[in-house]
Amino acid sequence: MAGSIANFLLSVSLILSISLIFLLTIKINKKNFENLSVIYLCSDGIFYLLFISFILLVYSFIVSDFSNLVVYQNSHTTKPLFYKISGSWANHEGSMVLFILILSFYLFIFTKKKIDPELKCFTIIFQLILIFIFLVFLIFTSNPFTKILPTPVQGLGLNPILQDPLLAIHPPFLYFGYVGFSIVFSFVLAALMTKKLNSFWSREAHFFILLAWSFLTIGIGLGSFWAYYELGWGGYWFWDPVENASLMPWLAATALLHSNIVTQKKNLLYSWTALLSIFTFILSLLGTFLVRSGVLNSVHAFANDPFRGLYILITIFLIIFGSLTIFLLKNPSYQRKNNSFFFQKDNFILINNCFLIFFLSVVLVGTVYPIILNAINGESISIGPIYYNSIIKPFLFVFIFIMAYGPFLEWNKNSNNSFIKNLLILFIISLIFSLIFLFLLNNKNISLTLGILFSFYLFLTVIYDAFREKKLSINLSRILAHLGFATVIFAIFINGYFAKEINLSMKVGDKKQLENFLIEFKNTKSIKGPNYDQITANFLVTDGNKKVELTPSIRKYNQPAQFTSETSIKSNFINDYYFAINLSQFNDNKISLRFYYKPLMQCLWLGVILIACGGIFGLFKKKYENTI
Amino acid sequence: MFSKSSISRLKVFFLFFFFTILVIFFVYKNIKKNSVYFYSPKQVQNLNNMPSAPVRIGGLVKQGSIKKNNGIYNFIITDLNNDIFVEYKGLLPDLFIEGKSAVVEGYLKDKKSFIARTVLAKHDQNYMPPEIAKMLKVKTENNK
Repeated sequence: MAGSIANFLLSVSLILSISLIFLLTIKINKKNFENLSVIYLCSDGIFYLLFISFILLVYSFIVSDFSNLVVYQNSHTTKPLFYKISGSWANHEGSMVLFILILSFYLFIFTKKKIDPELKCFTIIFQLILIFIFLVFLIFTSNPFTKILPTPVQGLGLNPILQDPLLAIHPPFLYFGYVGFSIVFSFVLAALMTKKLNSFWSREAHFFILLAWSFLTIGIGLGSFWAYYELGWGGYWFWDPVENASLMPWLAATALLHSNIVTQKKNLLYSWTALLSIFTFILSLLGTFLVRSGVLNSVHAFANDPFRGLYILITIFLIIFGSLTIFLLKNPSYQRKNNSFFFQKDNFILINNCFLIFFLSVVLVGTVYPIILNAINGESISIGPIYYNSIIKPFLFVFIFIMAYGPFLEWNKNSNNSFIKNLLILFIISLIFSLIFLFLLNNKNISLTLGILFSFYLFLTVIYDAFREKKLSINLSRILAHLGFATVIFAIFINGYFAKEINLSMKVGDKKQLENFLIEFKNTKSIKGPNYDQITANFLVTDGNKKVELTPSIRKYNQPAQFTSETSIKSNFINDYYFAINLSQFNDNKISLRFYYKPLMQCLWLGVILIACGGIFGLFKKKYENTI
Repeated sequence: MFSKSSISRLKVFFLFFFFTILVIFFVYKNIKKNSVYFYSPKQVQNLNNMPSAPVRIGGLVKQGSIKKNNGIYNFIITDLNNDIFVEYKGLLPDLFIEGKSAVVEGYLKDKKSFIARTVLAKHDQNYMPPEIAKMLKVKTENNK
């Protein structure tokens, strides 16, 4: 019943979107912008219709309506309610509903903005075209309300590693990020069509860019955090294609965010900002569907149907082709202003934009090259983390240096010398700090030294930046985000060089001394969960005079029958003690375990939160308040 | 002959061009150095000389082949025709089960034996790397 209603609602919104596109085209041709409120009402209607169908899907999951194919494939009656709900978007069809819902959600907020009617109508048309394309895809290739007859009694269940509270919120955040760039994309195409790409556009677009960027940052952070504690391999970033797919739009969006500031302040870089807006959305699409298409092996690969892959490929190709055509035909040539000084803020932003694009290309090549190679000569290769680390690392230092320097420059004149002198002092302080630090830790690695030096330098300059102005709130957005970035880089370097991994097999009562850790296996306990059986092991780790108790466990899920390891992580902010045990089917009474000592992991997460906070704060700032 | 602005634009263009070439060269060199090739047991038999770089091998874990002594695991990765004996010191992932697919990364000693440094974890019990799925499909078709 719910399925048929939802199917009907989806069809209505499809028809509504296509008729609105026609209606708006006619209005634009006639240059008649009266009675637009009806159109806004209809476009809100699409959002409400999609929202109800989404709720209906969630409802089918809650009541375990197994006559619905998607529910049957991904749910089970014994699953806790929370995972029944989150299960509705933990599959291809459901996540597509969420994707389209968010597309229409952004349209919904956009129509509430006070913007020139022509520009607004064009934006609505482009956004509606996107909604239309993906609705067709949803209804005809991946319908979430397909019926099966006869109705099965029980469902197949959700992959146990997806049954995790973080994974319930990770996809929505990521989608709000990815899809948020759709409205920027539609908005920029509209501005190109109407020749209204100006500083007003730039200010309005800034809100959506920041919003989407903040969501994307949180989404990536959540995904990384999940990988850290659920997969049980002690890592948080594996340069896996799936992770790269989300990093690429983030890099492009970060570049866009900064170039858009230059556009706002100096009426420069219009074409570059427009191009970045287009590419950020295309990379988001690529990110969403590359991981879906089954080309990459991962937990995200839902779509195994080749027809879906083909439709998506053609769609993405058409979107790229269409948007670039509009860009090339409609991009007006802007008069380049005379830039007489090199040491100006916009030049530094531009340089770091180039660096971001460079990082982006490195990641893109590393992700796509194996796929292309496989298509050409059938060889299968995978590219390891060393590739990314060794290429990105040296350039990162220069990037950070410029990032630390840039905020102190002026927009329109050569900058004040006193700042430069102070920055030099800060650099010397951080050099001394990093040398002392490494002397204490007894490590002579050059790239570690540079990593600590530059991240600490960035940290100091941001603090200096914060106290330079009397009114902190003016630059708070930038200060938070840059502080977060410095924290992340610092944590990554410390963690990369000082993390320890110990593999052992032990039985109850064993005590083992390894490096400076005394590991004691105390006992095991059996627990019965709602849809799994669990064995918890109890360990006591003594590190110097610190005692940490850790309780990793193994779960055996009933449906589908699968084992997962639940890690146990204890943290004192500076260090994480991380335990994971493995099902050891080939040892009699011994249990295999992995113990990780991970310094500064909490700092890393804190840094990601700070970066996102920077973005969120920027949203609430008064629109015309000037940033320095 | 050229105006001043077009000369400066040309300069920027060449500078850009030069850096792009440099970057492409740098990236290409690193990719070559850090690629890990994937082979099926059958492809290993067809290799002319043993690669010195680490490679990945994927197939099924042969039933009853997992043995452990002194903390070293021995098992056989097979495509049902060709067997490769794998030696691995370390922990096996939860989803490493006899009769299911697995991918190992390490060094080929010769066409029959392999020293693994990593056994790759999978995400769910029914998952099969596409390479292996394709390989097994070809196999069943040949048997018909």
